[in-house]
Amino acid sequence: MRPVTARRAVRGLAAVLGAAALVVSAAACGAGGASGGKSATRIVIGTTADVVNYNPLVGNSRTDSWVTNLMYPKLMSMDMEGKRVPHLATSWEYAEGGTKARVKIRDDMKWTDGKPVSADDVVFTIDAVAKEKIGVVAGLISSYGSAKALSPTEVEFTLTKPDGTFLDNVGFWMAVVPAHVFGKAPSVAKFANDSDWVSAGPYKLTKVERGQRYVLDRVTPYPLAPDNTPNLEQVVFRVFGDVNTEVLALRNGEIDLVANALPPTLAKSVQNDNKLKTVEIPSLGWAHMQYNVQRAPLDKLEVRQALAAAVDYEAIRKSALQGAAVSSDSSVLTPTLKQWHDPSAQEYRHDVAKAKELLAKAGHADGLTLSMIYDQADPNIAKWAQLVRDGAKEAGIEIKLEGLERNTYVAKGSNRDFDIYAGSWAIMDNPPANLGLAFKCGGFINYANVCDPELDKLISQAQEQTDPQAAKDPIQRAARIISEQVYDNVLYVEKFTFAHGAKWTGFEQRPSELLSIVNPESLAKAKAN
Amino acid sequence: MSTAAVGFAARRVLRGLLTMWFAVTVTFFLLRLLPGDPALAIADPGMTEELRANLIASYGLDRPILVQYWEYLVHLVQGDLGVSFRQNQPVTTVLLERLPWTLLLALSAVVVTVAVGIPLGVLAATRARSWVDRVVQVGGVTAQSMFVPSIGVLLLYVFGVTLGWLPIGGAIDEDVTGLAAVGSVVAHLVLPCLSLVLIQLGSYVLTLRTTLIETLGEDYVSLARAKGVTARKVVWKHALRNALLPTTTLMGLQFSLLVGGAVLTETIYAYPGVGRAIFEAVGRLDFPVLQGAFLVLAFTVIIANLLTDIAYGLLDPRVRTS
Amino acid sequence: MSVETATALPPSESTAAQTWRAFRRNPLGVAGGLVLVALALVAIAAPLLADYPSGSSDDVLVGPSAGHPLGTDDLGRDVFGQVVWGTRMSIAVGFAASVLAIIAGTAIGVAAAYFKRLDTALGVLVDLSLSLPVLPLMILIAALVGPSATTLIIVIAAFSWPEVARVVRSQAMTVMPQQFIAAANVIGGSNTWIIRKHVLPGVAPVVVVSVVMTTSRAVLSEAGLSFLGLGDPDNWSWGTILHNAQQSGSLTTAWWTTLFPSVAILLLVVSTTLLSVAYNDARNPKTR
Repeated sequence: MRPVTARRAVRGLAAVLGAAALVVSAAACGAGGASGGKSATRIVIGTTADVVNYNPLVGNSRTDSWVTNLMYPKLMSMDMEGKRVPHLATSWEYAEGGTKARVKIRDDMKWTDGKPVSADDVVFTIDAVAKEKIGVVAGLISSYGSAKALSPTEVEFTLTKPDGTFLDNVGFWMAVVPAHVFGKAPSVAKFANDSDWVSAGPYKLTKVERGQRYVLDRVTPYPLAPDNTPNLEQVVFRVFGDVNTEVLALRNGEIDLVANALPPTLAKSVQNDNKLKTVEIPSLGWAHMQYNVQRAPLDKLEVRQALAAAVDYEAIRKSALQGAAVSSDSSVLTPTLKQWHDPSAQEYRHDVAKAKELLAKAGHADGLTLSMIYDQADPNIAKWAQLVRDGAKEAGIEIKLEGLERNTYVAKGSNRDFDIYAGSWAIMDNPPANLGLAFKCGGFINYANVCDPELDKLISQAQEQTDPQAAKDPIQRAARIISEQVYDNVLYVEKFTFAHGAKWTGFEQRPSELLSIVNPESLAKAKAN
Repeated sequence: MSTAAVGFAARRVLRGLLTMWFAVTVTFFLLRLLPGDPALAIADPGMTEELRANLIASYGLDRPILVQYWEYLVHLVQGDLGVSFRQNQPVTTVLLERLPWTLLLALSAVVVTVAVGIPLGVLAATRARSWVDRVVQVGGVTAQSMFVPSIGVLLLYVFGVTLGWLPIGGAIDEDVTGLAAVGSVVAHLVLPCLSLVLIQLGSYVLTLRTTLIETLGEDYVSLARAKGVTARKVVWKHALRNALLPTTTLMGLQFSLLVGGAVLTETIYAYPGVGRAIFEAVGRLDFPVLQGAFLVLAFTVIIANLLTDIAYGLLDPRVRTS
Repeated sequence: MSVETATALPPSESTAAQTWRAFRRNPLGVAGGLVLVALALVAIAAPLLADYPSGSSDDVLVGPSAGHPLGTDDLGRDVFGQVVWGTRMSIAVGFAASVLAIIAGTAIGVAAAYFKRLDTALGVLVDLSLSLPVLPLMILIAALVGPSATTLIIVIAAFSWPEVARVVRSQAMTVMPQQFIAAANVIGGSNTWIIRKHVLPGVAPVVVVSVVMTTSRAVLSEAGLSFLGLGDPDNWSWGTILHNAQQSGSLTTAWWTTLFPSVAILLLVVSTTLLSVAYNDARNPKTR
């Protein structure tokens, strides 16, 4: 139409774009000097979510644990096989036939306000947990009666019945909080603990920028670090909503470590990057499917066996997990826990013909339709759920997938409102305690609704033993029942892959995604070359 | 102030309040009437019945829904948005820290869109049906049809990893002040802003193009031309001013869409905005935070409408003089 | 958008013909139409083009090759098959949501224009609904109700009708001068008769454009919700493919799992937009 106008418009456009380009490049230069992750005295750790709750007794997301673990000590830590090792506690024992438990704690651990971490803090914490029924710990210490401080470094617990699982549970699961801070809140469970933190770990939280980063500064003295001094001055957690972006940030050096385990296919590609190093950590739990045994037709053993026979376990481990998983031989005593494992256990055989035959025997020769719920945010389960569905179809079972938002999923799970529940346990480190919760009649994570007197008897028998060796036989028998009756279908035990920048060394490995290399000892000892 | 102006302002305020009430009400009832039990978000499965009942009562969740609704409104009027179920913190604390980032992102996207969109729209309209016009049209349409996460990872890969020019994730670096802080904010803003500009530039340019073509055909434009006004002046001074009116309305609408709809952008760029906070609160069934978030979003819509009105007044001589 | 409301001409034999002639002269619109037809054919013929992707294979994340023209995903499944079957699902969800939204939007838009007493109330309802934060609400509902194709369709439709209602209302206003209705009333036409005979044909052109545009917007919404994990895991849609890629961390490491579904979305949305822009231009005497 009018070439003059057009030319001017083009010129105007060029000017705008030129200006934009200038801003971009100026910004890029400005950012070059300041961006994080390139320091040797500070480690920047990527995580996929914000801290939801700073109260270590309430918080239950992974990010909550990673951050609060650096601030509130537990009595015990654990080694790579799940065995308890000293942390705040130096030694522990049962007495009086398992009705009393005694713990000695260190005398050199201090809260950041200078007060010592004392036996009174331990007593205060466990009393609050028991009284207000806070979190998972409350469910694990049902035998707890009372506690008293024998001295500033000695605690004695009185139990209502002999319980050989008590010390392991309290020792590993319960964070100790400062009585002089948490005691001021009207309710410990509702205490937000979202500012002016008084803590007792290698690092203390100093700055929070929601949605972006959590900054923790070094604490000295910290008795569990070499020379009482953690190596790094600062630990920073940065939030990435998407694992793809997070790994890009790791690749370009913006962050030094990814706290969450990498999805298997991504782990493979990271292993080929020479600027990065990977660490393999075994899981302390397992991935599984539970069949709602109170609901027809899953109340029939044949149907459950048919479902179990329709799963190609090897394919799940090979394809969905990319080989980053080992078989648990369809047993709830996983190979990670060497002291409990039962070598005679055998995995369910993948046999479509047998599945069809079992199904016919149960009176469902013309097929079945079931639904399976899972947490859609769990990348591995979302993957193998599809394989389970496709496999079941061959045997004539239609499985409808319901990938749910985490809360809806947990809600349906605890209401037993499902046919098949696909999920994973993060930490099942103490079989007598865990199997009690997961398979005894009315146990609070007994999602399969199992109620088997024979099984209950064996688990109770194991729980009463204060000597793990004596608990081994009844627990292995219980595990065999669980496998034979298909109360639980254990698919695999994952080998997690974590990645960090190649310059970092000195990490201390612990099992499970919660501890991995982001545990307090590890971050106190980590250093850059 | 004239009575007409007062009346206009009063209608605007009323309308704003109505908008906020509507958003709050819709959210409130959706949360309570759809499946999804808030009690499960607060209470622990291991709790005894009694403790559980106490806890639920302490959040008022045991009362009839209309009573809950009324109390919520009463608290709201007093400026109390409640306490987050999960974080035991006031909702305002949870949200207000993230809102500025979202506003910055949305505003910058709108400004850049207008700055780039006007010349492109003029270019396309003045050379309608030429190849330039077609390139602008196809380019604009293509850009707005892109799926944000896909283009997001591509941009991050190119500018963040391959070239290393721009940071990956976040909104500002730690411990920066003064000019460095401004630079850091801009550097973090560039890619998310660019993505949002891409997806809305198309509709802006196309709307501007269509209205401009129509205006250029109007009598008064022909008259101006006949009077010997230069072509450039006709387009930029006369036609454009009128053509900008509908696009201004469009931008007002876009702005409110951007504030709430930037979830995907914020997710992929790890930008600490309010959209992402909402997505996370949905996952936790955190009713108070969700209600607060929707209220905040409704409020930004009102602000956007206000800004649109002002822009309208500046552009439209009839509104200005009356 | 004002693109759609720009003109108001009652259709007649001659304008329809003029529109068609003008439309044919616009290569962009024609190209858009052809792409759209091609996508529809792919959706219909999906079973002939590729096997339904299921199970797993050992060829995990293999790039495009002879056996797998678009590569494989993180379970070794063929991406070509996923895109083909995804076309069917994405378009079906988008179209179904669009039809629902159009029915509701047209009914409300026409009612507002026709029954003067309802106009203010419906107008306020539409305005308020338009000011709701749409995507966050979609996320909320999809998450609470639980993801499935039906949920997606209803949720998307529930937030798409106000736009349609607004456009239809303003078009209906122009095709229906009040004297005309008064006259029709006088000669004894019932309201439904007048609406069916005179109003609906008048708004048909904008409704047609709306169907196309709402479908493409619904496809984008579906992709967004699926990407965030709120899709239907039992059906392949383009958003599901992208969600799988996102979850397995292959967005950046295996470009083919991201690129091809993204291109499919792009093709659909671009072609529908070009088509409707061209149609609007062709309908409008000033831009024709």
